[in-house]
Amino acid sequence: MRQTLAAAVPVALAIAVFGTIYGATVAPLMGGGFAVLASMIIFSGSLQFALAGLLVSGAPVSATVITALTLNLRHILLGAALRPRVPGSPCGRAALAWFLIDESAGLALAARGDATQTLLVTGFLAYLSWIIGTAVGTLGAALTGLRGISEAVFPVLFVGLAAISATRRHVMARAGVAVLIAFAVASWWPQGRGLAPAIAALLVALPGRGE
Amino acid sequence: MSVLLVLALGALTYGSRAAALVLMPPPPSWLRAFLERLPAPIFAGLAVLPLVGADGTVRTSVPMLAAFGAALLSVPFRSLLGTLAAGLIGYAVGGLLGR
Repeated sequence: MRQTLAAAVPVALAIAVFGTIYGATVAPLMGGGFAVLASMIIFSGSLQFALAGLLVSGAPVSATVITALTLNLRHILLGAALRPRVPGSPCGRAALAWFLIDESAGLALAARGDATQTLLVTGFLAYLSWIIGTAVGTLGAALTGLRGISEAVFPVLFVGLAAISATRRHVMARAGVAVLIAFAVASWWPQGRGLAPAIAALLVALPGRGE
Repeated sequence: MSVLLVLALGALTYGSRAAALVLMPPPPSWLRAFLERLPAPIFAGLAVLPLVGADGTVRTSVPMLAAFGAALLSVPFRSLLGTLAAGLIGYAVGGLLGR
């Protein structure tokens, strides 16, 4: 449990800062109470920030739904990767699924011990942090001084999660190729950048020679 | 944005999280091998996204690029906390260099 918390707390802190920035950004657009409600129900930083952008640009509902489908595709892949490590009843897994976000999935996949516990603890802390951060942000704490560092934390965090998820040398090499493919997709097709990680992962995870 | 839309987006998001975790039976060995190769590339892909702007151009924030570079240097140690620390140090150094 101590190891789980040691990994989960820095993640939760970063999410709290990002939640504060989110709350401060969207409160003028949708109202503070509604922003907190959205964080409680959607619980997805990338999707909620994208929605804020769509809200500002006056995009139609169809664009919002397509954005959600695109950004959420990777959850299916992460859930599938986690499935062999998460035993238990369908009801238990259904409850756990609420806490499946990129960060909790990464820590659970890399956990040497109980993946279920890691997913639950990390996801729960992240959920609390995201809601509290949003609420604090709607109260006026924009944390503009921390904006740059919080934006830098997430690529760093995902580099770390990729490193600990790559248990074999060939997986590490595949991750390196995925970086190039995701970069190319996001650069050449900015509208589909949410799909870039899933496209890259599916391509590089295909069986190689001799497998 | 209406409450109905928020509920719909919440349902879509939860559905994507639960789809495989709840409904998928334990995978056969060939699929399991494929699934085990997915997470690291997904996270690697997610790591690179913040470096690309919404218009497809590379973001030229020196501190962010320095943080990313320092994080990459820490990869052989395979420690999440180590990578976070390296990234923060890189960010600080990048901030000083960017002045």
